[in-house]
Parts: sequence; structure tokens; C-alpha cells
Amino acid sequence: MAKNKRDGTFYINPYLGGVLLGLVLFSTYYITGRGLGASGAVKSSVVSAVHTVAPAHAEENKYYSKFLSDDASPMSNWLVFEVIGVIAGGFLSGTLYGRLKFKVEHSPKITSRTRLIAALAGGILFGIGSQFARGCTSGAALSGMAVHSASGIITMLAIFGSAYLFSWIFKRLWI
Amino acid sequence: MKEELFVSGRNIPNIDPYLHIWHWQIPIYLFLGGLAAGILFLAAVYTILGKEKEMQATVKWAPFIVPFALIIGLFMLFLDLKHKLYFWQLYTTIRLESPMGWGAWVLMIMTPLSIIWSASYIREVFPNWDWKFKFLYTFEAWVIKNRWYVAWPIAIYAVILGIYTGILLSAFNARPLWNTTILGPLFLVSGMSTGAASIILMSKNHEERRLIGRLDLLFIAVELFFIVHMIMGFLAGSQVQIDAANLFLGGEFTVPFFVFVIILGLLLPAILEILELIGFKVPIVIPAILVLLGGLIFRFIMVEAGQITRYLY
Repeated sequence: MAKNKRDGTFYINPYLGGVLLGLVLFSTYYITGRGLGASGAVKSSVVSAVHTVAPAHAEENKYYSKFLSDDASPMSNWLVFEVIGVIAGGFLSGTLYGRLKFKVEHSPKITSRTRLIAALAGGILFGIGSQFARGCTSGAALSGMAVHSASGIITMLAIFGSAYLFSWIFKRLWI
Repeated sequence: MKEELFVSGRNIPNIDPYLHIWHWQIPIYLFLGGLAAGILFLAAVYTILGKEKEMQATVKWAPFIVPFALIIGLFMLFLDLKHKLYFWQLYTTIRLESPMGWGAWVLMIMTPLSIIWSASYIREVFPNWDWKFKFLYTFEAWVIKNRWYVAWPIAIYAVILGIYTGILLSAFNARPLWNTTILGPLFLVSGMSTGAASIILMSKNHEERRLIGRLDLLFIAVELFFIVHMIMGFLAGSQVQIDAANLFLGGEFTVPFFVFVIILGLLLPAILEILELIGFKVPIVIPAILVLLGGLIFRFIMVEAGQITRYLY
């Protein structure tokens, strides 16, 4: 059993994973006083990258300027550090269960290239969507539902509902 | 006439109340100096122990970085000088109590020694290398024959170089964060750790990587111990030292110090190296790069934070 766990095929039971994620969320609220997030870290990185390359543009832009202040860098945000922790933790978990290697997971019917392009396109759409919704699966749906926020439930329904619908069109990418 | 004349001896721009004279060049130099000291120390020690065959990367390949690191580091120091053309006066002003004087002389000895060390191995890397002059071949043969004796001064001066990168800061008696003797040993082990990490990056031999990885773990443990020791020392000190420690314990450097130095630069690589020692497959470049980045950020933080610590009047 212990040997099988390390050959890269072992994944945690999804239900147990869900409970653990809830506990992580719970302790996040307890320790930091706010919820989890992921898209916020990407947003901070984008804002500070734009601000470094084209400061004038970032300051004039209505969207970017919201996140800029003279006192602190947009990178000085708890979500940025949380995501660094997620990467470090994922790396540790991958090491422990022998899953560390470079690979692109995709359906045998498509190439890695198609899969990467689709992933990038999906990522861009999701990034834009999360900014309209003021948060992504973690920041709006999960953290919102944990505090019984209606917007959290709506976000969760919208994300997984539309995923259910669109999976019919894009199922070719997976099976 | 209602004007008042205010006379103060304290109007010293860039020095009082906060030091504002050391910029990015200094931490980069301190990092490169420590890295060079770490590599050369390990290279010399394994030569003295007679392990050149087993430890090829440690003894032969990694020291090739050192002359470049030292020359770039010296150039950084040169860039930092206000009166660049007077740099040579560091060598005409002999003062035993001056750490900068010591550093200038140690670098004056170490840079040529590291070039000679690498030169004596250059024909093993590039077999077609031609020294052009006969006396160079004679000198090379002499160095190769007497490597064991050349290694001794290198090992000793490497320790002095590593300690000096910390003493350079701790000699500032007006800056509480720097003015602690633990800084010398702390920068020495940190330099040893970054040196070990670069050897791990260059080595292709599994046994060698394992051995240097173990040493690196030891360096990381000692470094953590020294950091705890340093902070405890500050907290047991006077108010200015407590204020200096508080920069890392809730003050403005808390997050970069704990996230990038303690967690990502020391604890995570230590955990990954332990996992690799137990038998898990870890791409060893990851902990090595984390250690190098952690060492670099540590020096940036120490130089930045030290300049804003001050005595109360």
C-alpha cells in the first residue's frame, strides 16, 4: 500500500479533500480574518507588472488605478503569499506522492498543443469573468458560501452550472 | 525680528537619523562574497582530505564560478564608492581595526588564489587549452604538484572572507541591527550554504550531491540557530536593539523576512533535502535555487533594515 501511494497514481479521496478544504477555509478565517482567494494574486501580479512597465498607463487606467497606492505595492497582499504557499505545498505533496514530473494531461484524441491553447483560452476567460464577479471559485464562491453570502451561492451555481453546460461542447478536449 | 537661529550638529543628510548610503550593490557583493567563500572552503577542505576524485564538482567545476563572483562583487563595491578613483587608498591605509581594510586585503589575496586554483584545472575542462608561454606550464605543474599546500591558505582565507562579509556590517556601532558579533558567523554559514547549493547545481554525481546536500542541511540548521540566537540577543538587549528585532517581529520587514528567508529560503529547502535523503525523488535544483534566492534576499533585508535602525538620543 505504502509503495503504491508513491508511484504517482494516488490521489486523495475527493470527499475527504472537500472536508479538508473546508477546514483550511475555516482556519483561514480564524487566522487572517478573511477568506481564501486565487485570482486576486494573479490580479496583483498583473497590476504590479503593468505598473512597472508602464506606470503612467496603470495610474490613468480606471481598473488598475484602484489597486495602486503610494504606501504599499499591490504585491503586498495576503493572497499573493497564500498562492506562494499553495505552490510550495503542491510541490511538497507532489514530492511525497511521486507525482513530480513535467507533463501535459489531455485526451488521447488531441495534442498537447491543443490542450495548452484551450487551457490558456479558458484561463483568460475565467480571469476576465472572475473580475466581473469580483472573485473566483475560491474568493467569491467558496469564501462567500462559508459566510452564507447569497453572492457566494450565485457564483458557485454560475461557475459549475455553466461548466456543466459547456462541457458538452468541449468534452472532446477530455474524453 | 522674530527669527530664530537653530543650530544643530545633527544635520547629516543620508547618515542621521537613518543611514541611506548603501544600495543594491552592497547586498549583491555580500552574497557573491559569501558564495565564493563557501565554494572555495568546500573545495579546499575536500582537497586537503584527498577526495578530489569523489568530489569532482566541489573541487574542480564549482570553483570556476569563484573568480567571476569575486570580480563582479568587487566591481559592485567599486560602483558603490563615492570617489571611485581613490579606491587604491584602501591598500595604502593599513589599520588592523578596520574591517574594510581587512576585507580589501583578504580579497586581494583570495581573488588571485581563486584564479590560480581554477587555472590549474582549466586543462581538465578544455583539453586543448594552450598556455602559450613555457613559464605558465611550469607554474601550472608546480600548482598541480602542490595543490594540498595551496588548499590550506584558501581554506583559512575562505573562512575569513565569509566572516568578513558579516563583520563589515557589525562594525557599524551606530546601527543596532548590525552591531552584533553573531553577524560574522551567521553570514559565514549562510555563505557556506549558498556555496553548497551552487555545488549541488553543478554536480552530476549522485553521491557527491547527497554528501553536499547533507552538509547544506547542517549549514541551514546552524543558520536557523544563529538567526534565533541573534533575535533572542536583541530582545534581551536595550530598547534600540529590541526595536531592531521588532522590525522582523511585526515590523515592516516581517513578511519578507519570514516568507522569503525563513520559510522559502531555509525551511522548505531543508524539508525537500530531508525528503531527498530519505529516498523521495526531488528535483534537487529546486531546493538549491531556493537556498540561493533566500541567501540573496536575506542580505538585501539585512542591509536595508540595518540602515533604518538607530540609537535614541
